[in-house]
Amino acid sequence: MSVGVLLRHHARLHRVPLVPLALGLALFEWMMTFVAGEPSVSWFLTSALRAAPPEFLALLNQDLLLGVSAQGIVGVGYAHPFALMMMAVWAVRVPSAALAGEIGRGTMDLVAARPVTRASQIAAALVALLVGLVILAAAAWAGTLLGLTLRPLAGVSAVRYLPVAGALCLIFACFGAVGILVSALAREAGVAIAWLSGLLAGSYVLDYAARVWPRIAALRPVSLFRYYEPQQVLSAGLALHDVVVPAAVGAAALIVAFGVFARRDL
Amino acid sequence: MGAPPIHVRGLGKRYGPVVALKDLSLDVAEGEVFGFLGPNGAGKTTTIRLLLGLIRPDSGEGTVLGHPVGARGVAWRGDIGFLPGDMAFWPRLSGADTLDFLAGLSGRPPAGRAQLLERLGLAAPELARHVHTYSDGMKQKLGLVQALQCEPRLALLDEPTKGLDPLVQQAFYEIVTDMRKTGATVFLSSHVLPEVERVCDRVAMLRAGAVVSVGDVETLRRAARRRVIADFSADADAASLAHFGELIIAQPRHVELLVAQAALPALIVRLGMMPLSDVVVERPTLEEAFLEHYR
Repeated sequence: MSVGVLLRHHARLHRVPLVPLALGLALFEWMMTFVAGEPSVSWFLTSALRAAPPEFLALLNQDLLLGVSAQGIVGVGYAHPFALMMMAVWAVRVPSAALAGEIGRGTMDLVAARPVTRASQIAAALVALLVGLVILAAAAWAGTLLGLTLRPLAGVSAVRYLPVAGALCLIFACFGAVGILVSALAREAGVAIAWLSGLLAGSYVLDYAARVWPRIAALRPVSLFRYYEPQQVLSAGLALHDVVVPAAVGAAALIVAFGVFARRDL
Repeated sequence: MGAPPIHVRGLGKRYGPVVALKDLSLDVAEGEVFGFLGPNGAGKTTTIRLLLGLIRPDSGEGTVLGHPVGARGVAWRGDIGFLPGDMAFWPRLSGADTLDFLAGLSGRPPAGRAQLLERLGLAAPELARHVHTYSDGMKQKLGLVQALQCEPRLALLDEPTKGLDPLVQQAFYEIVTDMRKTGATVFLSSHVLPEVERVCDRVAMLRAGAVVSVGDVETLRRAARRRVIADFSADADAASLAHFGELIIAQPRHVELLVAQAALPALIVRLGMMPLSDVVVERPTLEEAFLEHYR
């Protein structure tokens, strides 16, 4: 019962920022279908991508020639830093506010002094995180669907972006689960936000650097962003390791978070 | 008869090298209003947080409402009302939403809420406002309502009258008196000695993490030294009274000293042998009893 009450509490605290994040993602993905369907813009982008150095393509996760097709340009929207940033805001905000945020604000005592298990606090944070991420990924896909419905592109189907949106959701669910662990260890939201943002940025930079710098290519699997490749999903479908690794890392982080939070002093 | 609502033996807690609480042993009986006195850093808040399971003891054991301190089960906490010493709320929630949320977590209907709001003077328009617009006093009132709205069997109140005006303080004392009548147990920590003297059945005094004195208010007061003020009609040898207690003022015709109750009869006899014109023996207040422990 307390999970339900806590979940409504999370909804009250976070529903306002969820709306602009979802609208922003939907608008951005709709815009990408517009860009892909506009011959002049598409031609410009295609030329630019062909002329771009590999380091730039790597930044956009565009190491496949797919990037220069209409389907690929729409797919860029799912790997673009703007879309990643929108998802990251949620994946950082909810876990940080749920545990460390309550402790730092001083409201954790009010919650924990009631018949609420610490496991249910983590469970509520996890559900709030996942529901928000599903809404954001669905909003992104809805933007793609709307764009392709209003202005169909030859050979491009919105259905093909569903697994991409699913992978986007999964990778940030994994970051969010790690965020719950960080939050379970911290005493203030600011500390949790700093660590998790650093982890996200570090992971992104490592993935990028490992793709453009062969000497550290072997380190790429260490980055969680290695397991999110929208163009790969579009061309060959969702790879098993792109599901298993984020799911396993997320599950492990949650198990440790349960253990740590259950034993710590609040 | 069941276990007392609070029963602890040898409870201790350290924060690194700092000893926050050492060897605390207490029993608080059902229906009792128990005062917990001590200066800042004495361990009052640590004790309350240990009892609630918010922190884990390093030593000792005990039960709260029959459940071991620090136990994993949480259902019993539905019978507890808790007011933290540093009151913090969610700034973007209204007062009403805050009370609904916390009552929902307690799992019990907020049967006493309406009456508490009326007695403490929190009206509906104020409850509709976001908590960040509240004054400290209003936050404290809201804190009291959230702690007591579900009619708990045991209330743990940390500095309950902090920031309240005298009228609301009076309303709070009446609420505590009514709770005692219904058999609820109240454990309150306070710096306000007249308040403790007024509402508590028994008091524990804490210093540097250890209990220095426990007993009913009257016993503690009796244990404290009396202030004896004597005036003489002619010059007297005030220094000769020093062995009866602590000389505060020693003038030829005016003497003030602190004397233990046991030494009073002998002192009165000695004063009778001197050119005494007036003598006053002041009953110590709880504050004086308290200060004796912390001087």
